[in-house]
Amino acid sequence: MNTTGNLIEKIYYDDDIVKKFTLATMIWGGAAFLFGLIAALQLAYWPMNANLEWITFGRLRPLHTNAAIFAFAGNAIFAGIYHSSQRLLKTRMFSDVLSRIHFWGWQLIILSAAITLPLGYTQSKEYAELEWPIDIAIALIWVVFAVNYFMTLRARREKHMYVAIWFYISTIITVAVLHIVNSIEIPVTFLQSYPVYAGIQDALVQWWYGHNAVAFFLTTPFLGLMYYYVPKAANRPVYSYRLSIVHFWALVFIYIWAGPHHLLYTSLPEWAQTLGMIFSIMLWAPSWGGMINGLLTLKGSWHLLRTEPLIKFFVAALTFYGMSTFEGPLLSIKSVSALGHYTDWIIGHVHSGALGWNGMLSFGMIYYLVPRLWKTELYSKSLLENHFWISLTGVLLYYISLVVAGITQGLMWLAIDKEGSLVYPDFIETVVRIVPLYWVRALGGLLFLTGFLIMCYNIYKTISLAPKNVPDAAVAVERTGFDEVTKEAHRKLEGMGLVFSVLAFLAIAVGSVIEIYPTLSLHKYVNPNNITDPYTPLELAGRDLYLKEGCYVCHSQQIRPIAAEVLRYGPASTIEESMYDRPFQWGSKRTGPDLARVGKKYPNLWHFSHMMDPRAVTPKSIMPAYPWMAEKNTDFLVLRKKLSVMKMLGVPYDQDVIANADIHAQKQAQQIAADLESNGAPKGLEKKEIVALIAYLQALGQKGKAQ
Amino acid sequence: MKQLGLAYFTDTHLTAMGLLIFFCFFVGVLFWVYRKSSTPLYHRMEQMPLLKDGE
Ligand code: HEC
Repeated sequence: MNTTGNLIEKIYYDDDIVKKFTLATMIWGGAAFLFGLIAALQLAYWPMNANLEWITFGRLRPLHTNAAIFAFAGNAIFAGIYHSSQRLLKTRMFSDVLSRIHFWGWQLIILSAAITLPLGYTQSKEYAELEWPIDIAIALIWVVFAVNYFMTLRARREKHMYVAIWFYISTIITVAVLHIVNSIEIPVTFLQSYPVYAGIQDALVQWWYGHNAVAFFLTTPFLGLMYYYVPKAANRPVYSYRLSIVHFWALVFIYIWAGPHHLLYTSLPEWAQTLGMIFSIMLWAPSWGGMINGLLTLKGSWHLLRTEPLIKFFVAALTFYGMSTFEGPLLSIKSVSALGHYTDWIIGHVHSGALGWNGMLSFGMIYYLVPRLWKTELYSKSLLENHFWISLTGVLLYYISLVVAGITQGLMWLAIDKEGSLVYPDFIETVVRIVPLYWVRALGGLLFLTGFLIMCYNIYKTISLAPKNVPDAAVAVERTGFDEVTKEAHRKLEGMGLVFSVLAFLAIAVGSVIEIYPTLSLHKYVNPNNITDPYTPLELAGRDLYLKEGCYVCHSQQIRPIAAEVLRYGPASTIEESMYDRPFQWGSKRTGPDLARVGKKYPNLWHFSHMMDPRAVTPKSIMPAYPWMAEKNTDFLVLRKKLSVMKMLGVPYDQDVIANADIHAQKQAQQIAADLESNGAPKGLEKKEIVALIAYLQALGQKGKAQ
Repeated sequence: MKQLGLAYFTDTHLTAMGLLIFFCFFVGVLFWVYRKSSTPLYHRMEQMPLLKDGE
């Protein structure tokens, strides 16, 4: 390489920002794991919510997932990206100010999530629950990050971009696209909004987003980190650099298409489902290519496991990456999905990815970073070993118990006897059967958290024993790679950040447009003979309460065309039945039964008693009680605004209904309250939330012309 | 005009086109990556994380 004549410069990397993100990772990680543990305990033992509305399962679970993904994994990614990119590019981050805005902005967003989610402000779209003002803040902070990053790229001293940088760039671009497209919503009030998409559109956009959040928030950035820190820790280059490039392009191209595997057997058009399935299966190959590449990098350095035990975390992370990317495509096969979808198998799958892959990799990275950032040695290698084995046991217990629970419950749901009727017609039977496994899962979570606390102590000791006030050392760098003969196209591409970014953008944009565009013309799929009536104002109020309480985290509203399911819940759901649903409420987990056709199944009083205390009507139920809904008043006045936003979005409400929405709603509420009272419920419920909720529940599956 | 164009653009065509674009690009990447002449470059690239510059 001809690099003569280049100046050697002395520069300082910004490691302060890396320290900040590392500590934030630890703090939020603790919160995320703790919320998860409490949520797990609530499923095993429902009174664990202490009857506090803020931490009932429906509100706690979104808090847990957001904390795990955006707070724990997010900060870990940023720490690793800021640390490794500066070194790979031989350049300090473009702007210290932008770095700090990024850091503090992100922590503020997390804080606002931690406040609004327990209060019930949610869009109820999984992993995109945060309301519109926070959505805007996320977009702005992401732009700050992007500007900072791309300007650093521009100023880089190493012309060639190592493959980790590619993974980071695709992350920055794709997350921006995903977030913006999925968050297009019309505000109703300061903390409430309706998405512009409805029904199948919303479902497709949401799972295009949801799946690619896994792909581009929990996979590509972590792969970038893997391609940097695994060679670094093992002190040997990646097994095959070529394979890493193929891995990159294959992932970027294929992942973006795989979202509809979350919607198999739903009313989403068949072609989109098939597409999702095929691409998901294709994903298996590059994912395993990447795993093998990572593991083979460690080939011949297994002796390091003794001297550098943090490598164990990397080995475990890569193994879990392999496991979950094998299981994902498996679950995307329609017949496997018929069994596994809506069960705890999916939750097990997710945690082998989140705890096993993201968690272990982050821990390994933190153990690598902290001693170097604070210029010291790790306080205790044996504590690290303990952490490793305890958390590994935790993840395995977690995973195995939930896969067993999921398959058990799935088989029970599907079981049909010779006469053609359900073997387990009572849903609660299938719940009671797996509750013991929920305890095992909670134990797994407890072990994982325990391991993490050991790490916190170890890291705390490391930092507090570190020598104080050691000035940052300057690094001597020189510009490399710029004066090469760049006649050959492939060399050029690797050096051209902009062209590369555009290509990566095109890769994801083509897939996204092809997938989403056809559903935007929803009318093509709606059969005019089956058009449904929109919700009445009171039902809409009830629906918003259903979102607020997070009922969707335990209940689906989508009956699949599978014999056992039709027997249990009624005819399969149609496109028209959710055509006005903003957001859609198909759900992804059935801790409780499907509710798509629960309307008119029970009298109003049944619902009242059930909501006040589920055990009163279904002994052994694990559903939380919602006594506060009989105390809080429904906001009737805001309904005018809600209906007019709905009208603007194309829901056919009459002008009169919109203008008098509150009066319409109160009238309907009086009828329901009178019915409740005449059957023995307390007087004076007509203004209470519970009545609006019952109105909504009784409307489910009752809106079609066919009924 | 746009409507007319889109009318011919049925779902399966879209999907097939996407697949084709994807597949061609991917084969391109394979050829590009496995060209013999790029060996020295990749050799240099893979050393990048290992440089001892201010860990
Ligand atoms: C922790 C998970 C969980 C949450 C959160 C939850 N449920 Fe349930 N739900 C269940 C379980 C389990 C059952 C089955 C046992 C029973 O009938 O209580 C159930 C049953 C039901 C049923 C009876 C369905 C039938 O066909 O028999 C209704 C209606 C219902 N839930 C409504 C709601 C509403 C409304 C909310 C939100 C305010 C909600 N649930 C929140 C778990 C949950």
